[in-house]
Amino acid sequence: MKINFNLNNKAVSVESTLSRRLLDVLREEFDLTGTKEGCAEGECGACLLYVDDLLVNSCLIPMANVIGKSVITIEAFSETLAYQAIEKAFVTSGAVQCGYCTPGMVMAVHELFKTYPSPSLEHVKEGLSGNLCRCTGYQMIFDAVELLREGGYRHDQ
Amino acid sequence: MINSYRPQSIEAALDILNEKTCHIFAGGTDLMIRKRQWQGAERKFTQDIVFINHFTELKNIEKDEIFYKIGSLVTQADMVKSDLPEYIREPYRQMSHPAIRNIATVGGNIVNAASVADSLPILYALDAEVLLRSVEGIRQVKIENFVLGKYKTLRKSNELLTHVLIPVKPYSGYFYKKLGQRKASILSKLSVFILMNQDDIRIAIGAVNETVIRNRTFEMDYLSHKNIDVLKDNYQSLMMGMDDKRSTKDYRERVALNLIEDYLKGVQSGL
Repeated sequence: MKINFNLNNKAVSVESTLSRRLLDVLREEFDLTGTKEGCAEGECGACLLYVDDLLVNSCLIPMANVIGKSVITIEAFSETLAYQAIEKAFVTSGAVQCGYCTPGMVMAVHELFKTYPSPSLEHVKEGLSGNLCRCTGYQMIFDAVELLREGGYRHDQ
Repeated sequence: MINSYRPQSIEAALDILNEKTCHIFAGGTDLMIRKRQWQGAERKFTQDIVFINHFTELKNIEKDEIFYKIGSLVTQADMVKSDLPEYIREPYRQMSHPAIRNIATVGGNIVNAASVADSLPILYALDAEVLLRSVEGIRQVKIENFVLGKYKTLRKSNELLTHVLIPVKPYSGYFYKKLGQRKASILSKLSVFILMNQDDIRIAIGAVNETVIRNRTFEMDYLSHKNIDVLKDNYQSLMMGMDDKRSTKDYRERVALNLIEDYLKGVQSGL
């Protein structure tokens, strides 16, 4: 059936079953491959994106639950000033190694600052608890978040 | 051939459920994992599916003098951000991680009825009830009667869990401890939930047995004698778990009982 929703600030329509995953539709129908598949069970955070401004795991979202909603992937988020600030902090801290977790990690960092404008280390650990990274040991990512906090990161910029 | 439906009203959903046995799909955080499949492939559903997550009338938290009435599609994140008492919000705050809490629903955790479902101990302790609606009407069932065993509930295939009712009652103290291999995004090895009042105590233990351990007789008994050892022996007699990949029977039982002892000793010495 035809499924209508808003994707990265554009109205789109796609042929899909109701139970197909948003992750698969984005990657296969729209060539939006910034959203990754890692564990396929909501543990690793590589597929994180925003649906109606809520951070969610797109590997668990069926198209039935996307109808009429607004989806923002890393591709659209990367055009914002907020993203540029996160990218700079990640590069400065060496928070990107293989890069597979990075799109999801960036989305989760943004969400973290929406919840806690000036997050403590405990907040950071809680906010990123749904993102696995096998390269950095997390410390460089925590350092990047600390840089953002010191720099007064604003999620609405 | 699997059919999927996204009915426009609860009534239409109930009509479908009355015709055939379906998966009821809310947030999907359990169902999508249970039916997982290779990247790009359709999930391995074996029954028709009814999608219900768009029913906004099941996304409210209401309160009257007797009950908090929580819609089954309220998410765990909604619970954490709500005005509900802290002892109700806390178990939801410790479940999974932020993105899952934005999807996973209150009703889903109950209907899935995993032995490790972290919302069940608190719902048992609070004498919560669920509303089950079908074309035949609505029935109200106590949570301990609703959960029959691991992944087993009293829900008939034509019924939809629409609300959870939690009796409104103030408590002077509570204790909640969830233990897992890490602090977040983890299935519990065990959890202990205790509510206290001058004239009441409620103790519920999750993830040790297939269903939550709670016993009103032992609770009332403790209130009369305040003997922690007797209480521990009583609760020990209810434990019949097994070793599994998350923990051992021995660890679960000893730690659960020690947590209860620790908390009650603190209460008794006025800490």
